[in-house]
Amino acid sequence: MKVAFVTPRYGVEVMGGAESAARQLAEHLVAECGWQVEVFTTCALDHITWDDVLSPGDSVLNGVTVHRFASASGRVPEFYELDGRLRMAPSEATLEESRRWLELNGPVTPDLVAAVRDGDAEVIAFYPYLYYPTVMGMEASTAPRVLHPAAHDEPALYLKVFDATFADADAICYHTAAERRLVQRRHRVAQVPQIELGLGVSPVVEGGRSGGEILGIGDRPYVVSVGRVDEHKGSSMLAAFFRTYKKRHPGPLALALVGPRAVSIPDDEDIVVTGAVSEADKCDIVRDAMISISPSALESFSLVVLEAWEQSVPVVVNAMCDPTREHCERSGGGLWFGSYREFEAVLERLDADAGLRALLGAQGHAYVQRYYQWPQLIRRYATFLTTVRRRYESACA
Amino acid sequence: MLTDDPGPSDMHGSDHDDHDAGRRYLDEVRRDIDDEVRRRRASGDLPPDVERELDQLFLAHSPLGGRGAALRDMLRLVDASVFIDPVVPVESRRPGGTTVKRGLRSLSLWYLRYVTHQVSEFATAVSRALHVLDAQVTDIRRKVDALAVPPSAVVDVGWAHNPDAWWVETVTSTLASGGGRALHAACGDGWLVGALVARGVDAYGVDPRSQVPRPGLEVLDLRVEDVGPHLGAVASGALHGVVLSGVVEGSGFVERRNLLQGAARCLAPHGVLFVHSLTPASWAADDAPVEADMAATRPYRARTWLRVLSDLGIDATVSEGTDGRDYLVTGRLRGAP
Repeated sequence: MKVAFVTPRYGVEVMGGAESAARQLAEHLVAECGWQVEVFTTCALDHITWDDVLSPGDSVLNGVTVHRFASASGRVPEFYELDGRLRMAPSEATLEESRRWLELNGPVTPDLVAAVRDGDAEVIAFYPYLYYPTVMGMEASTAPRVLHPAAHDEPALYLKVFDATFADADAICYHTAAERRLVQRRHRVAQVPQIELGLGVSPVVEGGRSGGEILGIGDRPYVVSVGRVDEHKGSSMLAAFFRTYKKRHPGPLALALVGPRAVSIPDDEDIVVTGAVSEADKCDIVRDAMISISPSALESFSLVVLEAWEQSVPVVVNAMCDPTREHCERSGGGLWFGSYREFEAVLERLDADAGLRALLGAQGHAYVQRYYQWPQLIRRYATFLTTVRRRYESACA
Repeated sequence: MLTDDPGPSDMHGSDHDDHDAGRRYLDEVRRDIDDEVRRRRASGDLPPDVERELDQLFLAHSPLGGRGAALRDMLRLVDASVFIDPVVPVESRRPGGTTVKRGLRSLSLWYLRYVTHQVSEFATAVSRALHVLDAQVTDIRRKVDALAVPPSAVVDVGWAHNPDAWWVETVTSTLASGGGRALHAACGDGWLVGALVARGVDAYGVDPRSQVPRPGLEVLDLRVEDVGPHLGAVASGALHGVVLSGVVEGSGFVERRNLLQGAARCLAPHGVLFVHSLTPASWAADDAPVEADMAATRPYRARTWLRVLSDLGIDATVSEGTDGRDYLVTGRLRGAP
């Protein structure tokens, strides 16, 4: 089987998010199924500017053939004015307005779309729904199209320009049941062949150091939040909550924000912001944490939650984030907060109750072992893609 | 059929006693936490302005339609914002900026105070109205919840729901002769979907029961979903066939009507609707499934379907099983005029 992935960014430099998920699926299809996999992508690494920083052309990364195309334009300043206007009532925006939004958001990649159209892949996976390469690539493609929406409840989901993207998909691959419910509230696509897949958890990379040593806090207990330190990811909110918590609960507990910085967090003796760290350091930090916190309300899957459970670390998530809350509800591996008051009560309870922490960690671990191991997961995905191709062939016959 | 777990949707199997015990304990923990939050909120141990500021931070990047959203929480933010402060900040990075701003503020304060007072009055009135609305909606929801009838249980009878049952050949041969996608609800372990796929039908199934074993690999497209909401999320005219078995017997009038309207909407012109049902006599017999006792209603008599489906624009015929225990309704949606 020859599969193509279309995704706006691709490479080891791209951390987290839908594009990273696409790379994991592509590489596991090559490694575990022996399939031929190619990727159509841009030369960008930054999802805000879409600047071309990598060279266009073909290369091979971990067995996957990567075709890179320069963008005709990235995100342009006019985008913000239009975005601000449309997000007030996105479903009221006209098709023309929302198509304009798509183009201003970038990356506009007509060469990439032409290459997708002229390619010979038997199935094409588009990941995520939000950008020009997916919308225009799906329009142009003649092979069966599998849409990985990676959708969360954001204004863009309601723009009319995406109606055809969802309606024309030959199959849909969701991260979670919550994502499926969200998409089906907006788009009538329940009849489309689909799968609820998610992502696998990679084996833990031991670095051999203690988390406290890496963070420079010695033996102090700490809670950790892994991922881009960003306003939109809830990092500032978490830091503010934690500062208030510490004022009301003095003690040694610290907070570690582990990930590249996109927002500045005010200095605080109880908060450590590491910036980007190695995989081994990240695993060591998470392993020794009392709790892993996912403060973001806008996740469509959240691998960091599963990575904490892989190491039997209990998690606390944002109650407004359906996918992470669903992970917690189904696994029994975590708690959630919907306000500062709840955050305080949850943290206080977990801090004081080692038995509860152990139970949550064990249940989360069992959940990950059962559903999110790569060998089983990639076998399900490969079977799904095969049935999508067969369905397409029988429809053409 | 394989019986591996295809995905986390079917986590809650009956063989997970330890998991259930853990879940009950966590429910207790959640209740304790909720009680503690209520107690502390009532005690006022956190300054209201600090709590509001933190809540605003929390909601700044929250989706509008998240499951955790509660009107009462939103109202706390509204309350925090009803007072419009006419005394604007005057800090400035530019030399003399603060003095200029302070002067402008002094000159315009009489005007700003007049305007902001009216805006604050209006916001207060709106906030009060929303609180009244919240109280009334909460009251109505409590009453409606008490009256709500849960979706009827799927009726599973082995003698009628298997690939060798008398009515299955009619369904598979009819759908195999047409083209297009077909839905089976409630699909159980995929016994009919498998038979349809084997005949070349592009079939899939949904079933609200999470504990039914399903194939481990996605050879068949089977999903754990409630039938009514699923039909509501299918594109109009997208299905060539809909097969309902085990889902109409125990459903109440409104639920049954919604199911049928949903199915009719999903059908393409000339699409086929099959309804397999137990008969009222079978429903009343000693060996009736236990759902018969739990249901608020009984199955329609076979001929009633002709009238019901006709009203939905579907021409129907009925075939009865030889022993009078069940029947199959075959309806075809009339084409567009």
